[in-house]
Amino acid sequence: MTMTLPREFLPDAPVVAPDVTLTSLSEEVSGRVLMDRAPLWWWIGFAIAFALFTVLIIQMGWLFIGGIGLWGVNIPVAWGLAIAEYVWWIALASGGTIVSALFFLTRSPWRSATNRIAESMLLSAAPCAGLMPIMHLGRPGLFYWLFPYSNVMGVWPQVRSPLWWDFICLLCYILMSIMYYYAGILPDLATVRDLAKSRFKQIFYGILALGWRGSSEEWRNQRIVYAIMSAIMAPMVVSVHSVVGLDFAGGLTPGWHDTQFPPYFFFGAVISGTAVIMMLTIMVRWGCGLHDVLTGYHLNALAKVMLVGSVMLGYAYVWEAFGPIYGSDVAERTEFFQRIFGFTAPLFWSEKILTVVIPQLLWLPLVRRNQLLLFLISGGIIVGMWQERVMFVTASLEHNSIPSRWGVFFPTLWDWAALAGTIGLFLTLFFLFLRFAPIVSIAEVREVVEAERSK
Amino acid sequence: MKALFGVIAVFDTAEAVKNAAARLRQQGYRTFEAYTPYPVEGLDRIIHPRPQRLLPGLMFAAAVLGAAWGYWIQYWDEALNYPLNVGGRPYNSWPAFAVSTFELMLLVTIAAGFFGMLAVSRLPRLYHPVFEARAFARASRDRFVICIEASDRRFDASVVRREFEQLGAEQIEEVRA
Repeated sequence: MTMTLPREFLPDAPVVAPDVTLTSLSEEVSGRVLMDRAPLWWWIGFAIAFALFTVLIIQMGWLFIGGIGLWGVNIPVAWGLAIAEYVWWIALASGGTIVSALFFLTRSPWRSATNRIAESMLLSAAPCAGLMPIMHLGRPGLFYWLFPYSNVMGVWPQVRSPLWWDFICLLCYILMSIMYYYAGILPDLATVRDLAKSRFKQIFYGILALGWRGSSEEWRNQRIVYAIMSAIMAPMVVSVHSVVGLDFAGGLTPGWHDTQFPPYFFFGAVISGTAVIMMLTIMVRWGCGLHDVLTGYHLNALAKVMLVGSVMLGYAYVWEAFGPIYGSDVAERTEFFQRIFGFTAPLFWSEKILTVVIPQLLWLPLVRRNQLLLFLISGGIIVGMWQERVMFVTASLEHNSIPSRWGVFFPTLWDWAALAGTIGLFLTLFFLFLRFAPIVSIAEVREVVEAERSK
Repeated sequence: MKALFGVIAVFDTAEAVKNAAARLRQQGYRTFEAYTPYPVEGLDRIIHPRPQRLLPGLMFAAAVLGAAWGYWIQYWDEALNYPLNVGGRPYNSWPAFAVSTFELMLLVTIAAGFFGMLAVSRLPRLYHPVFEARAFARASRDRFVICIEASDRRFDASVVRREFEQLGAEQIEEVRA
């Protein structure tokens, strides 16, 4: 008996709408950048984002004066929301690189229109991730001591520590992502430059485009380097998020001391990063009116990646439970049962529902075609992953190896301000990307348009 | 009057520009370049037949040097300059150095690729004579442009013009800069 899925997309369904031409594509996408006045929704979104960003400024100012006692962190839970949100943000950013680099290597046609959204997202999320540990330092002004540089104190960082690896990973990751983004956007900046009417914009984008002409030699060099960069970025992002997992696996705290955490964290990055890209893609699609370039094909593909992420995450959760139950470490087992039945139980169970159970709906083609459902499921996944990171960080410290040192963590208003503030920073940066840079890779979608035309 | 830089022809499909490039090459023209809105498969091999080996080689060399540099700063820090005895572990504890070595290797490789790409393409170069052509602006949008430069050995403006007409160019323009 063969199973038929009548509502499934046909394998040769168009990636872009058939009426998109090279001319309309360039003008449509560049038009969003070159318009004299941003639309009302952009100003409203930007105002909200910026208001949240000022919350971050106030929070940081007060934190740097008052110290991290403003937050709910204390002994035994010395790592609170800041560290959990560091992991959460870097996971969201990593998802952007996975979609962009990995699916460039597989030559997936849907990657062409979504990769710029993914990369803009990652460049907006990475600074949020970077701020979290700096705010958590207690002596934030001295964070540069992490750099191995020659100084009069004669003191050097301890490079055997996973925390230092983490610093190097994040630093390299941000620098590499900027270069990867710029190598990809160069031809699009030239398109914007050539379409610009006002002298100021011609000069502004002219300088940014570095004089790109689109000669066959420039294209050849760009493609060679971009392909090698993608092949580097894909394992790079796996290593970055694995090292975040090693920060925890390197500690002896029950619930953290497990070799599975590098891949476990990476699986979380796949699902949560794709979920953010899904939400942003749907919003950009409606906000910018790019329905013909960002089609159902893209949402369907992203939904499948999210589904794979959810299944991988479910697998990791099974082993997370198997370890403490099968092993003989009493502290591990106690911590695990405290986590699933104790103070953090609501976080634990609702998180499993949001990230593993509900995403199973994505098996149905009907759900993958419904933008509202996709939006809600993605939002649920992002919230769920936040819960998971928070529970993972705090529950282990709450129930450490010495029962007399047990305690609970509860966030204060300033913890929430840090979360709201970094969301503000993220959205502010993303809205700026949306306004000043082409949000769809025009050069790459041109190839898709030509491929569709010649079919 | 300004000096003649070359003659450009505008084509409306990728196939047309590829045919034109192949034909020009066959007739002995060497100093010409195509400007396209996206990389046309095979066009670069017609105009620049020698394969581009410099960039991958450069990136590989950068990877080796980057790894060596990444390992060296850690080795120098932990084993030579500031030896710290942590539970009797060796000063040169290479497994702990592997992660940062890997990251720094990739950083140097990507930086070499990025700046190498710009250098080999001779960018940034904010002005180029071909920008003077009115038809050129569409090469970054929806048209495929070929420019035969006046420095070519066989260049003769009227012959080139006739050649482009035969190849079915949409528009032909002299570039003066």
